[in-house]
Amino acid sequence: MDIFLSNQVLVFLFSETILYLLSIIAFLGAVQILKSWDFNATTTRQYTLEKRAFLIVTIILFTLTLKILLLPYFAYTIDKLSLLIPGAMCGAGVISANAYGNPLLFLKIIILFFIGIWLIINRQDQNAIDYPYFKIKFWFYLFIFVFLSVEYILDIAYFSHISTSDVVQCCSAIFGISGNNPIPFNLTVEMLLIIFYLLYLLTILLCAQKRALLLFVVSLLFLYIGYESIVHFFGTYIYQLPTHKCPFCMLQKEYYYVGYLIWGTLFLGVFFGIANFVLKFLISHEDPRLYRLTMLFNTIFVILCSTYVVVYYIKNGVWL
Amino acid sequence: MKKLMPVLTIILIAAVAAIIFISLSKKEDMITIQKGNIQKLPLPIEPSHVNDTECKMVITDTTHACEVVAPNGNTWFFDDPGCMIKWLEDKPFKDKAVLWVKAFDSGKWIDARKAWYTQSDKTPMHYGFGAREVKKEGYIDFNEMRLKMLRGENLTDPRVRKKLLGY
Repeated sequence: MDIFLSNQVLVFLFSETILYLLSIIAFLGAVQILKSWDFNATTTRQYTLEKRAFLIVTIILFTLTLKILLLPYFAYTIDKLSLLIPGAMCGAGVISANAYGNPLLFLKIIILFFIGIWLIINRQDQNAIDYPYFKIKFWFYLFIFVFLSVEYILDIAYFSHISTSDVVQCCSAIFGISGNNPIPFNLTVEMLLIIFYLLYLLTILLCAQKRALLLFVVSLLFLYIGYESIVHFFGTYIYQLPTHKCPFCMLQKEYYYVGYLIWGTLFLGVFFGIANFVLKFLISHEDPRLYRLTMLFNTIFVILCSTYVVVYYIKNGVWL
Repeated sequence: MKKLMPVLTIILIAAVAAIIFISLSKKEDMITIQKGNIQKLPLPIEPSHVNDTECKMVITDTTHACEVVAPNGNTWFFDDPGCMIKWLEDKPFKDKAVLWVKAFDSGKWIDARKAWYTQSDKTPMHYGFGAREVKKEGYIDFNEMRLKMLRGENLTDPRVRKKLLGY
């Protein structure tokens, strides 16, 4: 419970609580709207619901937008906690401090993707004259609310089960080599890199051809291979140490917080890559601008990662 | 260019799939436990294919290798007698398990409980306990080796190293 004395944890949990309360209000409002909504009616009830719908959408928009900002703050919080928890050198040790950490992080990323989809649907709905996606966006919000509830419970469970006296593992122990090949599909580092660049080229080609389903699949694979490539290859050039394999240390000041940019561009690129297929599935409509955004963020991500390797080679004349 | 793009896409997808399948087909999982050794015999260790259960290192050299065979035939592998002692200590079957160690003098697998141990061998984890089949002066028996290992009185302690090796 000592962990609740940390400023970052207090701010984070307080913000999460406020946002969760707002999301409950929005949930109740959304249920009421979905139950009694009738666009064709001219009753006082419908008129009241229409006014209320505007308020509820504003609350959802506010809540979900702040939830996006809270993810980097969560990363910042667990990184700061590494100073308090024995054994932890960065967020990797803190997130593994108990069984709730990794599922929570995974859930937060999934929710982020859902929120993005909701925001796009909402924007398309508000830009249209006849609010064509009005009901679907409220149903989708109810779906997201279930995840928000699980996330809030996990938030509390995770932070209340962090001990400041038990020793946790540092990132070298968690991501270090322990006999078996840690890279997925039994790939070597060279093969991992070849797949990384091939998948990048594939996302560009698929965006140019506007192939939503294939782009959805390839983007998910790119997320996985991108993550592994950063941990096992690009990260070592950021840290300038071949044995340092960690996805969290790059979020620290020593590395100019570049991790936020790297993970941010990867998540944005992948999100825009999968969004069009999900939009097609939910509202039978896609947004061509999302293909351009996928190309933009994936390219920034790949250039950023590759630059570290090239600059290291130019400066030192050797590869790690 | 528009006609070329679908062809390029197919080629890239095929390349990614081919690399993944070829890599998967090469998959050789490290062995950490071998089941079904009911006869409780020492099993051959293929270098670089077996993990030490305690220190997790890949066993590349079997000169000081050890094996623990539980009553149900499960067999675990170690690269250093010290690792075996550390791992076995909290196991419920530690007194009933059959322990094999590679003897440095004869190169044979011998009963680790009947072996004699030097304290200054160059072993993979630098504990220093090397097994011998034939006793010579200065060698210690299994129980003494076990106690010294658990107390930390081995070459990893600078005082012990200074006393035994002089540096």
